[in-house]
Amino acid sequence: MKILTEHEAKKLLAKYGVPVTKEQLASSADEASAIALYIGAPVAMKISSPDIPHKSDVGGVVLNVRREFVRTTYDELISQVKKAAPDASIEGVLVQQMAPPGHEVIVGLKKDPQFGYALMFGLGGIFVEVYRDVSFRVVPIEKRDVLMMISEIKGYSILKGVRGRKPADIDAIADVLMAVSGIAEKENIIELDINPLIVSEKGALAVDARAMVEE
Amino acid sequence: MLSSIFEPASIAVIGASNDESKWGGRILKNILNSFRGAVYPVNPKEAVVQGLSSYPSVLDIPGDVEMAMIIVPAQLVLSVAQECGEKGVKGLIVISAGFSETGNAGAELEKQLVSIVRKYGMRMIGPNTLGIVNEPARLNASIIGQLPVPGSISFITQSGSLGLALAEWTIDTEIGLCKVISSGNKADVDDIDIIEYLDSDPSTGVIAMYIEGITRGRQFIEAVRRIRKPIVAIKTGRSKRGAKAVFSHTGSIAGSDEVYSAAFKQAGVLRVDNIDDLFDAALAFSCQPLPEGNNVAIFSNGGGASIVAADECERQGINIVDLTKETREQIKKVVPEFASTSNPIDTAGTVSYKIYKDSIEALLKDPNVDAIIVIYVHTLLSNAIPPAEAVVEMIKKSKQEKSKKPIISCWMGGAGKEEGVEILKSGCIPNYPVPERAVKALAALIRHKEFLGTVKAGESREGRA
Repeated sequence: MKILTEHEAKKLLAKYGVPVTKEQLASSADEASAIALYIGAPVAMKISSPDIPHKSDVGGVVLNVRREFVRTTYDELISQVKKAAPDASIEGVLVQQMAPPGHEVIVGLKKDPQFGYALMFGLGGIFVEVYRDVSFRVVPIEKRDVLMMISEIKGYSILKGVRGRKPADIDAIADVLMAVSGIAEKENIIELDINPLIVSEKGALAVDARAMVEE
Repeated sequence: MLSSIFEPASIAVIGASNDESKWGGRILKNILNSFRGAVYPVNPKEAVVQGLSSYPSVLDIPGDVEMAMIIVPAQLVLSVAQECGEKGVKGLIVISAGFSETGNAGAELEKQLVSIVRKYGMRMIGPNTLGIVNEPARLNASIIGQLPVPGSISFITQSGSLGLALAEWTIDTEIGLCKVISSGNKADVDDIDIIEYLDSDPSTGVIAMYIEGITRGRQFIEAVRRIRKPIVAIKTGRSKRGAKAVFSHTGSIAGSDEVYSAAFKQAGVLRVDNIDDLFDAALAFSCQPLPEGNNVAIFSNGGGASIVAADECERQGINIVDLTKETREQIKKVVPEFASTSNPIDTAGTVSYKIYKDSIEALLKDPNVDAIIVIYVHTLLSNAIPPAEAVVEMIKKSKQEKSKKPIISCWMGGAGKEEGVEILKSGCIPNYPVPERAVKALAALIRHKEFLGTVKAGESREGRA
């Protein structure tokens, strides 16, 4: 069993056609600064370690970092995480484009002893933790199943746009679900989360992801 | 292939006993009480068992044996199965327990049993089963006390004792059953095999299942998607949550129960929450056509009961439809001035054959209406029989006209309503004691109709009861 870092998980997703945030791994403050320049600040900066699946728990995430603060933030992040998780092996800091505005949803995959793989969809952020407003299908799936599982959640009307909120691009979500269902067996996934997948009026973007695979 | 188990020409009962308090005695007696084909008891210690010559081994039986029931201690099952193979037996029902349900040693024994079964090309139900019942073949190869009332519901149960209790209960409540199958450990024949057999069985109209777990999950979904007969299931173990949040959200939320629900949706299996719902739905499927849509008309002599029904319709997503002007005018002719002729229709307490008959007739003709719920609330001032006769009369007419509108009834109240209920039963109207159950049964018909349009693959196979 192997845990992929966010960056590794996203590279895997991108290989299967899931749109992911522009990002690069920096192993020094200088590198971080150069990446921020290339991507365009402000950026998100996240500690990258295979031993730290929950980055915010150790203070390993800083959002909206302006260009002039990228170097200092790099050094602060490294020393902060070394204090909080002294035994973790640290690869560096992931410098990432800030997420665009949109609906936060979750897409997940889990190996199941009876049925092979279960695919999950739901509203992301607090909705998944508190309300568990999610739906499932067993892989393999057809586009029709995917559209049904999207419309099945209680919060579907939110995605359609309520009270002046812009509607989410349902087709883009469906494409991501189809792509993720195709990853399952090919990559020996045990568990995978894209949380959040940010969905705007046009398109969807995997902003954070984690995966556990069989070696 | 499974026909050798369900419709055998001859049966050997291995481990047959004179003592009816023993399984080998009880099962032989049940077979003898029901079955008309050749029956051979096998017991090396007896010359005669329950009046029949007993044979020391299945190999000593002079004639052919199509199916054998094995009721011997677990350690003897392998050699007995081997002999059955040599004899040319086609199907086995292994009642004996002490296999995979007991642990690793038992699982090993079960593996060896399966390899013997496969070597000789036999099929096997069990081990650890309470047997099977096939009413149309008059075969009670189980420990269930008697044959059920004839019907088109076939019931597959993974729990032996619960299945037994439910089968006995259906006999008491006169719910008609076609087959009862205690699937046991499902070492050879599993749910997919049984469902495919029942799909090809002309006397089965609906399949009811009690499931604890499914093997071959993906094949199950694929196989069941091709089956257009309704399948209603209870799957137990809902309370088991997924593992605690260790790694991913998906991992913590996707417990086995959520995945089962998803699989059932994809396969087109109607998952119900409890035993009442299971048989309520099965009963409706067994004797009513599927509605074309989800627009219902509710007809009642009591306002309260029709509101309860309407509320449940709301919960189940069933639409209480506006009736056409013609329908309302037809109904207006037979109900009192002050009664409500808009849906739900309330006769304001008045009851007669003519009121029920003319109103139902109008509803059957109404193009807006896909299904009808008829409610009768019994009082000391009314007679439960005439409205029941009206419903039966209308169902007959509707069948002749090949109408696709199901009629579900709810005769409620105390003493005196039973005479009406008997008439409804004789006319094959699914009747329920409270409006919510009638509505839920109708909801099952509607959901299955939706499955046929969305999930189910393959061509429609008409000819249900």
